[in-house]
Amino acid sequence: MYGWIWRHLPGNAWVRAMISLVLVLAVVYLLFQYIFPWAEPLLPFNEVTVDNGMAAVR
Amino acid sequence: MLLEERNGVTTNQRGGRGPVAATVSVIGELLITAGLILALFVVYSLWWTNVLADRHEHKAADKVRQQWARSPADTGPGSLDTKDGIGFLHVPAMGRNYQVLVKKGTSTKVLNEGVAGYYTDPVPAALPTAKTGNFTLAAHRDGHGAKFHNINKIHDGDPIVFESKDTWYVYKVYKILDQTSKYNVAVTDQIPKESGRTKPGRYITLTTCTPVYTSRYRYIVWGELVRTQKVDATRTLPAELR
Repeated sequence: MYGWIWRHLPGNAWVRAMISLVLVLAVVYLLFQYIFPWAEPLLPFNEVTVDNGMAAVR
Repeated sequence: MLLEERNGVTTNQRGGRGPVAATVSVIGELLITAGLILALFVVYSLWWTNVLADRHEHKAADKVRQQWARSPADTGPGSLDTKDGIGFLHVPAMGRNYQVLVKKGTSTKVLNEGVAGYYTDPVPAALPTAKTGNFTLAAHRDGHGAKFHNINKIHDGDPIVFESKDTWYVYKVYKILDQTSKYNVAVTDQIPKESGRTKPGRYITLTTCTPVYTSRYRYIVWGELVRTQKVDATRTLPAELR
């Protein structure tokens, strides 16, 4: 998979390395900005209040 | 002989891999990717959300303080301005100069701003101004500011001070419950019987999750009002915070 991406990037090894870095940063940005904030409330790691079970439904 | 072996290796590298090897390789890469994403999620939860929430809380706290400064205590719309935050919670046991803005509500949205929220649901909190009642608060243990991260450092007899626009409310911790069910709504009752009190009084309750990094149980700290002190012109800290 990564080998396939590498082979399809243009330029020599240095250019490919730079493009790879930019792609990695773009993925991290997407994760931090959109995907993690969306996923976090769905995971049971950060509930701090007492409630009568309604939060599970909410 | 040697040459032949070398040739064999180069042929393999040129893409002579069988479909099984290729599939295994892709699955392996996907698993590594999944691992990296999970590691990044930990970084996000425990570090990045704190950065964002702290920034947000500082800004909101400054705004409240500026509003207080603009309108002197006696001419303001009321000592508890509920829109941007009602005041600040000071807990010396959780760190010198520890303070956190208190806002209305304990929804994820409010708490993720890096503030402490007072309960409106399922048992609404009584504000500190009320003659009797329980001022119940929640905040994150980890991530999103982690304002109650050090709640386990609070001990019996420690002061908890709530600062409103015109009054310092000094509470004293009298009971700690280090683990209870998350459905134990009774801990936020106006008379928190589980803490041993049976008469109406002016109580404060802090709730957060425990053990750290999980949400399996709730950690509860109860205090009761010892005294109040008017805020003076220079906002001199009460003795408990000095």
